[in-house]
Amino acid sequence: MSIPAAPRPNRDFVTTIREDGSRLFLHPADVHGRWTSLRRWSGWLLIVVYLALPWIPVGGHPAVFLDVAERRFHLFGFTLAFQDTWLMFFGITGLGFSLFFITSLLGRVWCGWACPQTVFLEHVYRRVERWLEGDAVARRQLDSQPWTASKLIRRGGKQLVFFVISALIAHLFLAYYVSLPELWTMMREAPGQHWSAFVFVFVFTSILYFNFAWFREQLCIVICPYGRLQSVLLDDHSLVIGYDAKRGEPRGKVGTPEAGACIDCNRCVQVCPTGIDIRQGLQIECIACSACIDACDTVMDKVKRPRGLVRYDSPAGFAGERTRWLRPRTVFYAVLLGVGTVVASWALSTVRPANLAITRLVGAPYFVTDEAVRNQFLVRIVNKRDVAARFVITLPGAPDSLVRTGMDGAVELAPLAEEVRPLIVQIPRKNYSGEFALTVRLADEAGTFYLERPVRFVGPDKQLLDEDAKERAAAKLKESQP
Amino acid sequence: MSDRKITIEYNDGIVRQFLLACVLWGAVGMLVGVFVATQLNYWRLNFDLPWLTFGRLRPLHTNAVIFAFVGNMMFAGVYYSTQRLVKARLASNFLSQLHFWGWQLIIVAAAITLPLGFSRGKEYAELIWPINIAVAFIWVVFAVNFFWTLARRQEPALYVAIWFYIGTIITVAMLYIVNHLSIPTSLLHSYPVFGGVQDALVQWWYGHNAVAFFLTTPILGIMYYFVPKAAERPVYSYRLSVIHFWSLVFVYIWAGPHHLLNTALPGWLQALGMSFSLMLWAPSWGGMLNGLLTLRGAWHKLRTDPVLKFFAAAVTFYGMATFEGPLLSIKSVNALGHYTDWIVGHVHAGALGWNGFMAAGMIYWLLPRLWNKPLHSVSLANLHFWVGTFGILLYVAAMWTSGITQGLMLNATTDNGTLLAYPNFLDTLNAIRPMMLFRVLGGGLYLFGWLLLAYNVYRTVRGAKAVNGTIEVFVSNHAAEERLGLGSMILNPPVAFSVLGTVFACAWMFGGDFLKLAGLFGTALVILLAWVHFRTRVSRWAAWYDRLLLNALPFTILTFLAVAAGGMIQIIPTTLVNRASNVEGRRQIPYTPLELAGRDIYIREGCYNCHSQMIRTLVPDVLRYGDYSRLGESIYDYPFQWGSKRTGPDLARVGNKYPNLWHYRHMMDPRDVSPGSNMPNYPWLFTAKTDVDSLPSKLAAQRLLGVPYPEYKTGELSALVAEQEKAIATDLKAAGALVAPDREIVALIAYLQKLGKYEAIAPRLPVAP
Amino acid sequence: MNPNKPAQEPGEDPIRAHVFDGIAEYDRRLPNWWLVTLYAGIVFAIIYWMATEHFGRTTNESLVDAEMQRIEAEKLASSASNLDEATLWKMSRNPVFVEAGRATFQSTCASCHNAALTGGIGPSLVDNIWIHGNKPVDVLKTVTDGVAAKGMPAWGPVLGGKKVSEVVAFVLSHQQAP
Repeated sequence: MSIPAAPRPNRDFVTTIREDGSRLFLHPADVHGRWTSLRRWSGWLLIVVYLALPWIPVGGHPAVFLDVAERRFHLFGFTLAFQDTWLMFFGITGLGFSLFFITSLLGRVWCGWACPQTVFLEHVYRRVERWLEGDAVARRQLDSQPWTASKLIRRGGKQLVFFVISALIAHLFLAYYVSLPELWTMMREAPGQHWSAFVFVFVFTSILYFNFAWFREQLCIVICPYGRLQSVLLDDHSLVIGYDAKRGEPRGKVGTPEAGACIDCNRCVQVCPTGIDIRQGLQIECIACSACIDACDTVMDKVKRPRGLVRYDSPAGFAGERTRWLRPRTVFYAVLLGVGTVVASWALSTVRPANLAITRLVGAPYFVTDEAVRNQFLVRIVNKRDVAARFVITLPGAPDSLVRTGMDGAVELAPLAEEVRPLIVQIPRKNYSGEFALTVRLADEAGTFYLERPVRFVGPDKQLLDEDAKERAAAKLKESQP
Repeated sequence: MSDRKITIEYNDGIVRQFLLACVLWGAVGMLVGVFVATQLNYWRLNFDLPWLTFGRLRPLHTNAVIFAFVGNMMFAGVYYSTQRLVKARLASNFLSQLHFWGWQLIIVAAAITLPLGFSRGKEYAELIWPINIAVAFIWVVFAVNFFWTLARRQEPALYVAIWFYIGTIITVAMLYIVNHLSIPTSLLHSYPVFGGVQDALVQWWYGHNAVAFFLTTPILGIMYYFVPKAAERPVYSYRLSVIHFWSLVFVYIWAGPHHLLNTALPGWLQALGMSFSLMLWAPSWGGMLNGLLTLRGAWHKLRTDPVLKFFAAAVTFYGMATFEGPLLSIKSVNALGHYTDWIVGHVHAGALGWNGFMAAGMIYWLLPRLWNKPLHSVSLANLHFWVGTFGILLYVAAMWTSGITQGLMLNATTDNGTLLAYPNFLDTLNAIRPMMLFRVLGGGLYLFGWLLLAYNVYRTVRGAKAVNGTIEVFVSNHAAEERLGLGSMILNPPVAFSVLGTVFACAWMFGGDFLKLAGLFGTALVILLAWVHFRTRVSRWAAWYDRLLLNALPFTILTFLAVAAGGMIQIIPTTLVNRASNVEGRRQIPYTPLELAGRDIYIREGCYNCHSQMIRTLVPDVLRYGDYSRLGESIYDYPFQWGSKRTGPDLARVGNKYPNLWHYRHMMDPRDVSPGSNMPNYPWLFTAKTDVDSLPSKLAAQRLLGVPYPEYKTGELSALVAEQEKAIATDLKAAGALVAPDREIVALIAYLQKLGKYEAIAPRLPVAP
Repeated sequence: MNPNKPAQEPGEDPIRAHVFDGIAEYDRRLPNWWLVTLYAGIVFAIIYWMATEHFGRTTNESLVDAEMQRIEAEKLASSASNLDEATLWKMSRNPVFVEAGRATFQSTCASCHNAALTGGIGPSLVDNIWIHGNKPVDVLKTVTDGVAAKGMPAWGPVLGGKKVSEVVAFVLSHQQAP
């Protein structure tokens, strides 16, 4: 029985999409070497980080806990209220821009080393596959076997394990959004009681399973916009994984006269998880995983030639030039990253321990009574700290004749609580000479910080008010004269 | 065969004209965009001037970017590629010039009328009726020039780019004309012939497909020409082109109602809108795949060639936007994202990433070829790419954050879902204010990138000599047997199966009990038969299609049938739903003449750009704004004002919610009554007099449209108006505000206080879909 | 050599015979998974239509109606099962309700009606003059819906039914039960 050979990549087409449109399922060969070991260690570290963040308590809350139900976010001991969600912007752009920067220096290092897709695929799912089905040759052999009971058990078992792992990851992912005790409670109760969480986990598990069990590198090629943009952001001095054609060509078996260093053993192709031949240059599929470097180095060691025929280097480096790390672009990026960091830290520092919002009570903007003109506000105070606090409201700079009722004393707020209270201000008619600006200040009782909001004391046209007063006086006079 | 060799000189002058216009209007449109974005954060930038307020300038931004920027880019790309793909010079120099100057004149007219407040009150269709006629006319000029060129082609078969151009020309004509049908009341004002739910459906059928057939299909055609040219690679897959084109033009047109999910739009239309939007994902990605995998073979060139960089990024953004679109069309996602900045972010990912980058790539590729001189600076073009990409990153990240934050806050409830967590709309607005600033930064960077392009264009073109492309062709007579008659256009497997399938599907959707069942089985049977036939006779399908590609007219007719189907099936039944006697137990009380005048002020100021008038069938909406809106509550609204964005709160039931005084103060300075508001001041409403003179002709138009206004006797109308004006002015005076009764503010208050007024009527059975 | 015929080596991928202005076209088969997404979209549309239009028992309107009814019921339930006169009087004699009501009153109502309920901006609540009706249900209505003209806001949407009924109980505790 013949075992199907490893794929023969071609530069014009995606290896993993066969001519009839069907999917070529890759079985990359085992590879050992320094990069592979380094990647395994860093991969496991990242897996631990990704999965442990919702578990490690920092300052009484999990390190990362996006508490959607209570509309609060706990990040490494820092608690943000919903009103601070805009800070998420710095997270998104920071991540995006750091990747721009890293790409310009180190190429698609994110894809090969840190992306959850690669990390979980290489270090969890492919490990399971290797463990249950053997090496690449054995797996290809299994592929071509008829469906016997033993194949059914092995394949079915693998899929089952994949599904269980996917479910596990999905649950752990949910822990970013619901607290662990809550998650545990939900898991023990019937799905019907937590329908939305159940559907979320079920759908997420299915997506993970589909992706890691079958879709795999197709995600990086077709779906992920990031990989593509990263490739586009490379320049001649960015670090990529490449083949030193000057040294390697023409290829030939050991001992062939005039041959270059490449012995055309195809090891680099066999180990590639995306099915390309790195010797054909930079390609859309390459996630810079460094497997081909280790594969080639091993072979070079065997044939006693210097390592580095396939290596990390810049396109300039492969062309024999010196790689310039400091270039206008990288300097500019570094400056921008610095500016971004400063702005983000400044923005974070503007996050106050409390939030103050002033609105008007629904209804007329002002009320005129026999004695006074009145404005009615509603004050919303949010205590964003994890400790109880007492707040006072003052009206700095308000006219002396302004009478204020409501919120006279300090307001005590429980940790992370919010409170809505009316604030009524009025000014006697005789003191009213038109509208004026008013400042509402919120401070904690100790006076460690304050927040101010400008509002406007509005009232009637002064002239109309005076006329009204005259009419009233006249009416009163009439009344008093029988 | 008597072949004769001739040399053709292409008309590249017209391409150069459109290209330069695109660069100019692109800068203008983006500049206005950055300005209006800044106004959202700094209300003082409205300068208390009517023609500089957000509500009037935002339509200028959208119209400039869609019709001036992308329009000119499209014409440049279409004219350049078509001449080469069909090996013929553009048919008429006169028509080409008429097309160019006519279009620029329309743009200038729009740039003058929109800030002056002349508006039809429908998004991306604001231009007034005389300009509408001009647009339709110039579009016909374009069509004639294009099809005449096709008729004179020396290349028998039509390349995929041409298919997309054909689809664009006929569909835009259809959409534009239907959505702009109006009854003029004066030289500058008109009412659309559709009202309420019909108008909503027609508007979003148009609005959605303006995105589809103005911003997408022509650009896809341009992609199919310029990407393989620039990459010097063959197109990845011809059969993907075929499926991609036909599924895209057929499916896209149905998806309009996804702009109206969870509204008063009948459920069956919402179901169609959502499911067709999801179906649209695969065809859109087909185009993305074809572009991307065509570029794949030239991936190593991406590092150095800015043209390919722009194309690769554009295709990527196209993929992202067409993934996000179906996602946002899922009802539950839509409940969160609709009316928020998320939608704005989605649109800009497409406009900046796909349209803007395709334009940039095309321009950088064309410049050296049109002026026979290398690009002035490749590194400046690379800088443009990086600045632009970074700008998009900032913009889209800001809008996602903003939209999701506001959506979650608006929908958040406490006390077991019985109370809103943030009952005051302003709380949710102020939470996203910083995002509005970052979006300005992102947009500003993108504009800066575009200015780099403009500078590069200027330096390249300056002193360069324009050159026209030429080609030598052998003139030969088309073989007669390749002609496709009417019979073989219709009676062939692909068309027959499609028509039968659509007919059965309609029977299934609209039929009564028996017809419904028959339709369902018929549809299934047709699909099965088509599949079997395709499997066994695939060469017959392919041969017929090859023949079709030699025949431009039948191709055009079939494309028209494909795009017309969806619109007709959705719009015609809906026109039966809206008549006054029926719907959902509620009928809108017609506006008084003064209220109608106030409504026209509301439209003039572009209030619909920030305020919706549609309370969705969603609990947070009902808790916040009151009972959900019914179909019947807007049947007399010509045009409908359901809106598409809530920068401010919904106004569907704002009538009687606040005293007159509140509105008076609010329009004078919104911050007086709503601390922290970002709405502009409207001081001119307090001095300008209400336009009462035009009311008779407006009322006549409304009567014609079926709004039950009586015929007023001489003097009766002005007395009626004066009476209502006086009542409001008196009430305001009693509350301490002095205003003359004939001012616009009084009319506007009258209108606002009317919103949400309806009379209950005996409900009829709903019209079965 | 025909310029419209691309060079094609044997064994290469299928390329279309015709070239347009130098652009050749491969004729690759589509990735099957992409076709599956296309078919899945169509199948979903059919199922969704059946589910919503043929067998669907709920509409947007019925769902929101049901949820609003639940909210209504919840509000009624949390503000005691049946808020008739007798119940409110009973609540006003129950220290659990009265104490809860006192807290809300002090933070929310005292600014106008005074901490001692003797009135200020708003009228006194300890005398025998009831401007908007003296029955307990009238008081409840006044608090819930407000009196816009005089500046008394509607507290129902702000406080929720439970707190409103507690406040009313607190106010009534200062009055003589019938």
